[in-house]
Amino acid sequence: MRYKIVHTTVYTYSEAVPICHNAVHLIPRDAARQACLYNRLRIKPRPSVLEQRVDYFGNRVTNFAIEQAHQKLIVTALSRVHLTAAPPAIDPAASAAWEDIRDALASYSDLVEVYQFVFDSDLIQASAELREYAAASFPPRRPIVAATLDLCQRIHQDFKYDPTATTVSTPLPVVLDLRRGVCQDFAHLAIGCLRSLGLAARYVSGYLLTRPPEGRPRLVGSDASHAWLSIYTGNSGWLDFDPTNNVIPSLEHITLAWGRDYSDVCPIKGVFIGGGQHGLNVSVDVAPIA
Amino acid sequence: MSTASSLNPTSQPQDVVAPLRLTDGYQPPPSIYDEMMAAPGAVRPTWQKFVSSLDAMGSVELGRRWEAAKRLIHENGVTYNLYADPLARERPWELDPVPLLMAPGQWQSLSAALVQRARLLNLILADLYGPQRLLHEGQIPAELLFAHAAFLRPCHNLHVPRHTYLHLYAAHLARSTDGQWQVLADRTQVPSGAGYSLENRIVISRMLPHVFHDCQVQRLATFFMTLRDTLRSLALHHRENPRIVLLSPGPRSPTYFEDAYLARYLGYTLVAGDDLAVRDYRVYLKTLGGLLPVDVILRRVYDVDCDPLELRGDSLLGVPGLVQAARDGNVVIANSLGSGLLESPVWQAFLPALCRYFLAEDLQLPSVQTWWCGRPAELSHVLANLQQMVIKPAFAQRVEEAVFVDRLSAEERSQLAARIQSSPRDFVAQERIARSATPVWSGERLQPWQLALRTFLVAGEEGYTAMPGGLCRVSAGGQWLGDSMASGEGSKDVWVLSEGPVSPVSLLHPAGQALSLRRSGNELPSRVADNLFWLGRHAERSEGKLRLLRSLLVRLSSESETETLPEIGVLFQALAGQGQLGAEAIAPHPLLRPRVLEDELFACLFDSQRADSLRSNLSNMHQVAAMVRDRISVDSWRILYRIEQDFRRPPLPRDFVQPGDMLALLNQVLMNLSAFSGMAMESMTRTQGWRFLDMGRRLERAVHTCGLLRSTMVVPSSNESAVSEAVLEIADSLMTYRSRYLTTLQAAPLLDLLVTDESNPRSVAFQLAVLTDHVENLPRDQMNPVRTTEQRLTISALTGVRLADVESLAEVEGGVREKLDRLLARLVTHVRNLSETISHTYLIHAGPARQMSELAPRKG
Repeated sequence: MRYKIVHTTVYTYSEAVPICHNAVHLIPRDAARQACLYNRLRIKPRPSVLEQRVDYFGNRVTNFAIEQAHQKLIVTALSRVHLTAAPPAIDPAASAAWEDIRDALASYSDLVEVYQFVFDSDLIQASAELREYAAASFPPRRPIVAATLDLCQRIHQDFKYDPTATTVSTPLPVVLDLRRGVCQDFAHLAIGCLRSLGLAARYVSGYLLTRPPEGRPRLVGSDASHAWLSIYTGNSGWLDFDPTNNVIPSLEHITLAWGRDYSDVCPIKGVFIGGGQHGLNVSVDVAPIA
Repeated sequence: MSTASSLNPTSQPQDVVAPLRLTDGYQPPPSIYDEMMAAPGAVRPTWQKFVSSLDAMGSVELGRRWEAAKRLIHENGVTYNLYADPLARERPWELDPVPLLMAPGQWQSLSAALVQRARLLNLILADLYGPQRLLHEGQIPAELLFAHAAFLRPCHNLHVPRHTYLHLYAAHLARSTDGQWQVLADRTQVPSGAGYSLENRIVISRMLPHVFHDCQVQRLATFFMTLRDTLRSLALHHRENPRIVLLSPGPRSPTYFEDAYLARYLGYTLVAGDDLAVRDYRVYLKTLGGLLPVDVILRRVYDVDCDPLELRGDSLLGVPGLVQAARDGNVVIANSLGSGLLESPVWQAFLPALCRYFLAEDLQLPSVQTWWCGRPAELSHVLANLQQMVIKPAFAQRVEEAVFVDRLSAEERSQLAARIQSSPRDFVAQERIARSATPVWSGERLQPWQLALRTFLVAGEEGYTAMPGGLCRVSAGGQWLGDSMASGEGSKDVWVLSEGPVSPVSLLHPAGQALSLRRSGNELPSRVADNLFWLGRHAERSEGKLRLLRSLLVRLSSESETETLPEIGVLFQALAGQGQLGAEAIAPHPLLRPRVLEDELFACLFDSQRADSLRSNLSNMHQVAAMVRDRISVDSWRILYRIEQDFRRPPLPRDFVQPGDMLALLNQVLMNLSAFSGMAMESMTRTQGWRFLDMGRRLERAVHTCGLLRSTMVVPSSNESAVSEAVLEIADSLMTYRSRYLTTLQAAPLLDLLVTDESNPRSVAFQLAVLTDHVENLPRDQMNPVRTTEQRLTISALTGVRLADVESLAEVEGGVREKLDRLLARLVTHVRNLSETISHTYLIHAGPARQMSELAPRKG
């Protein structure tokens, strides 16, 4: 599958912003079954300086600064991405027991890059509560894929999707308490559960093609920027899970970047001065192309 | 009498002149190493010359010199300490007059071992923030990095010239019972204390110049020279004369004293995060003259606080974009960002192995024995011997929470064991260490206290060198000396003795070398100009307010009944015009209620809840002054300090304060305010800094005088001459008026004196003329022929006053001086606009940085 993605973010300010510094994760990374064919960032006003680099996790980051007074900042990311294949079908019951994966992570130095995703990060801290929630899905010796599927299914069932319940800064224990949230919260929650068991899980930021309802045209711009998680499963490597939709991401999930949690891969991070009241508008359009 | 062992005090006849020796009665606990005594009564050879010099001096003379030295310390405190509050301690500890002495041979091996350790730590940092061989080859458990919040991923692969991550390093040492030095903690991020060592050295060497000379003490200055050379040589641009700044967390930080002290000593500009800006991923100093490039930053700000974009977002101490500037190699930061990683105790357990790995050598200087509980064998050892252990968080940064297990109850101990078992990798256990003892001067004799030594290393052209000296902290027996610099009750100079004569070194230029002439000007940081501007405004505002309040107080406390003094009502109007009074005070017949008036005045003076009370004003003034402490002379600061002191004391309860008491206080404060403005006029170089201070003052005085005249003269009072007298008194022009017109008080001559007479430093015209001159001399693009907004504003205001006809201003029509009111109103508007324009053009380069994530999108 090939997709064309237009991701537009507009910041408006009631007073002029003389300067802003930004670091953005808006270029889809290459991954096992994904290739970024084309990408371009359109930024208005024109940045006085713009540099691209690869971050610690291998994501592509663009740093830029705008040094002229502005009351509106428009960042448009245009990409074309090729999803080369669906993930191989796996028999969940045939995967390794989760404890074996846990124990292997600490033991082999060639798993060092994986192992870092076992540890706490800024927004996700392992806890007894998370471990307890996870325990029901992770009885002894259960195959890791089957257990993770069960965990995601339970999150989907126990937690209500509610964009008004949480904000970007709502801590994980509060989400666990509220039983409400959005995709970012659910991804954090699942990752926190898995890490509390000593497993390696990472946060994936990306896009999702929403299926149009039967007989109606797909609404442009109605698709949101999305987030899910990936867990290390041993022989099958990293496998993605989407607890918000309770699906295994396949040919409709486009990966932008991954890290330990949202703060590592925040699509647009920025620091500005002045600005007064500010407003924000985001639109994402993911359309299949030939 | 070269050693104390020859002395037996009890055998001395009482009548022989044999003053007590300082070492008499000095008895270190038997089980620990004593720095001075090898055995009871036996002074170590290193100390013999020193001890006999002190003995020759005698305790009385030592005491006298110590008193003099303490005054110097206090002065330094006043010089560099933010609040100069005698109650708050200026330093974490007191200085002790007796230095710690170290033999040349002993120092040589210690410093060689420290150099090895600094090299090793630098190599570890270079690996972990670079290729990470340690990780991939399994040389260290991956937890050491991944479970460590101080490992900053954005700092991975920064551009670090010459792979020097550690430019400065401090090791925290203790000497165990067998005389062996051990490292208790490593400071790799912003190692502080070197400035205090320097201060201690200056104080003690002045106090004991001959002893210092005779003992052949190695100089500290070479250390700072190496630091300067290193930083200069690292600059990527402007190699000849790079701009190097010392980035401080600011006056509210506990290290500010040392920051200011070091900056002045090293000759670097002391800056806060606000003073720097990143443009095109280069770092600049924001000054009145524009942005000046910065090549090297000697930072005293912690890693995570250095850049709100890529590091901790809520920190206000850093500079947005700094990490990218460092990544691109456009600025050198010392120490390199992320170097705090190695400060936590967990590394100590791995240093011996890492030393063999990197250097193929044994670690010369051992750390205190450390076990990381993250491995099963160590964990069981620790749990089996828990009673003897000190437990610390493995990844602790800075804040030390050492738990001495033997002080715990049985229950607490088993709780601790359970915590360790539930997440073993988060804990290290360390052996308890005994510290050595060293003599401390009690005022009469020497007493053994335990010591902790902080040593400093600097990277140089040929590797690391140790400062021959250090910061010694001491504590009376029993109390635990923590690893942080603030712990302990006293500090000491550290004398490293030399085998031969020591040649003097100084950071000051040698006498023969001609200095290039420098006149400072446009390089003034905008933030400093801003603070000086407001210092001028607050000082003048306080004075104006004070004069008005004083005139009222004089009248209220005079013998006449208040009803017979018609000007009181008018003066209260003036006070109300300044926004000082509630409606209540000027309600129908205030004149009949002197007690209410007094209450109101009392509040205007002392109520810190009122934003405009004199107390609030003075406190604002002091706060702004503190922000530019390093730009104000010691004498001026002393005056400001005294004002603050006079007004800080809580006044007696209202019931006990008579107007007369308040009057005395006001006179005293007014005198000090005048002294401060006198210092500014007579002792400040006419730099842009002075200009901003004076502009603030002039602007404020112009506004204040216009306001006073509007509320007193526009509507003529029934008894105008009494009002006029009060107005002249408040404007400090009564004497001039009397000398010109004797006692006849009339409106026109008064208005001439206070508005249009440019020779009276209190007149509005005088302020405008001075402002015009200041504005002419502000930094600007000289090529641009068009007058700036601020030029046009001052010219217009000044011309308006010059063209004014005093006679017609004094005319009353329909009970009002309409023309006067219009003129004054226009002037106030002009001056206010001028203030805004100046702020906008020169001062407001910045504001607090805000995060876009305040409004991050909610995802699907």
